[in-house]
Parts: sequence; C-alpha cells; structure tokens
Amino acid sequence: MTATETPPRVLIVDDAATVRMYHRTLLTGAGFEVDESVNGLEAVEVAMSASYDLFLVDVNMPKMNGYICVEALRSGAVGSDAPVVMISTEDRQRDADRAYAVGANLYLGKPVAGERLIRIATMLTAGRGTPE
Amino acid sequence: MGLVRKKITGQPEQITWERLSADALRALLGDPDPDVRREAALGLEGVEEAVPDLLTRVILETEPNIRDSVLTTVSAYDTEAVAGALAVHLASDDAALRTAAAEALARMPRSMPALLPSLVAAPDHDVRVMTVMVLADLIHPDTGYWLTRVIRDDPHPNVVTAAIDALLPLATAEHAPLLEAAARRFPDDPFLRFTVQAALPGLTGTA
Repeated sequence: MTATETPPRVLIVDDAATVRMYHRTLLTGAGFEVDESVNGLEAVEVAMSASYDLFLVDVNMPKMNGYICVEALRSGAVGSDAPVVMISTEDRQRDADRAYAVGANLYLGKPVAGERLIRIATMLTAGRGTPE
Repeated sequence: MGLVRKKITGQPEQITWERLSADALRALLGDPDPDVRREAALGLEGVEEAVPDLLTRVILETEPNIRDSVLTTVSAYDTEAVAGALAVHLASDDAALRTAAAEALARMPRSMPALLPSLVAAPDHDVRVMTVMVLADLIHPDTGYWLTRVIRDDPHPNVVTAAIDALLPLATAEHAPLLEAAARRFPDDPFLRFTVQAALPGLTGTA
C-alpha cells in the first residue's frame, strides 16, 4: 500500500456481539478498517461524524431497525452514498424488496460465508480505498 | 385522565390543553394529527378498558414513534391475552413492527413464559429468531433455561446462533458442552462454528 492509499472503512451495524465479531474478524483479516455500532441509532450518530466506504447493516435491531437506519444514512443529515449491504436472518422476498427500496445496494441472508463477504466488500469498495 | 394538546382552529401558534375522558382519548387514537395520537396513547396509561383499542392501534399505526408509545402503554398490562396479541406481530412482514413487538414482549416477564412453548416451536424460523430476541432482553429467571433449550433442540442454525449470542452474557463453563454440541450439529455453518470457537475460551477460562 502506498502512502496515499488508505484501507476502506467499514461500519458494522448489528445488535449481536457474535455477528459483529465474526464480520470484524473476516474484514480486518482482509485489510479493511472496521468500526461497530450496536443499533441503527448509534450507527447514524457515528456516521454523522465519520466517513465510511461500506455499511453492513442488520435488519432486526432495538431502538432503530436496519431499514430506518439505512434511510437515515441516505438522508440529508448523513447523506452517505457509500454502499450498504443489509444482512439478516430474515429471508422473505418482501424484506429484500424493502431493503432495496430504502437504499441498500445488496441484501444477504445470514450466515454469509467468509470468502463471499470479503469478495462482496472488496467489489463494493473498489475505488473507495485499498485493502492492505 | 390524560392531557391532549389541542390546536385552536385558525390559530396554529396557540395551543390549549384539555383534560379528557378515557372515551375521548380512545377516539383520539385515530386522530389525523400524529402528536394527538401519541398524547392519546400515553394518556391511556392505566385505562384497562382501552387495551383492545390500543392493540388495534398497534396494527393500524404507521408512525413508528407513535406505535412505540402505544406499545409502551399496552405492555404495562402484562397479561397472557395482551402478550398473545403482541406475539402475533413477531411474524409481521413489517420489520419495525416485529422489532417493536419483541421489545414490548421483553418488558412482560409475567406473561411471556406461558407463550414460550408455542413460540420456540413456531414453524417459521424467523418467528423463532424474534423469540430469541425477546429472550435476550427478558428479565426472568428461566431465560437461561429457554435459551439452552433452543440451542440444544432448534433445527435452524440461525435460531441457534441467535440463542448462543443471547446466552453468552449468562454462560458459564457448564455451557461449553452445549455449545460444542451445537457446532457439531451444524458443521457446515461457518458463522455458528466461529461463534462457538470464539466463545469457548472465555467460558472455559482458556482465553
């Protein structure tokens, strides 16, 4: 990595500690810089003061669910155009449709195999930073 | 009885407050003004005859923050009838509704245990995941028992991993064999395997 290259920065938004740890382990191992939020409200607050290249957002979370979180990330207050991947245990088509409607770029069912997650994260952050 | 803000027609800056009857508040649950609906929902705290109206409002309300107010009021009635009516929403296609219902049910420790046998056996694994979400926040001495049972018996790996995540704050070395058995039941699930491998050192003191 050259001095001008920085690793893509990912915000993992999930209320499950094990999910956050799993995704963090995978992504940091692939050279991404990772932050975590435990619900949508915290994620929006964090995203208002920091810039991210990718958001991984759970659907079912307390305080603010994933759909409202993504709407807020796309809204004027945050105004992020970074890719959003929603990851959920729910595999209903309606959930996927809703995810795309609120501004997600991709909707995945849990669990996401490690290699697949890294491949998707690398693809979606291409040009936004360089994994180490 | 509750107080409801009332706008004076033609004078939007002027607001008066009126003391209203329970019947008036129940009627205002359907008011076009979201602020009035919210005040009405909160004003009906302690009005038992309004519970059916509040449960109906949970279904009809489209504003999430007002629905939360309705759920706050109605979940104070920790009865099996109310919990049963709310548990239906764990299967909702509306993520905000099913999450809000789960949060409300987690505040109902008296009545939730009676519903758990049917909820942990629900045919839809998404409902079982939401039930685990309730168990994660439910303050009740049997929470550990139910999570253990889900980890041991549930046939879907997503339900089991959600239950492991919920159990970890309570887990001890005695739970290590349970987690190891869960990993053996789902050898092809990378997340479940990772979760168990990450948790075991902390449980057995080998971290």
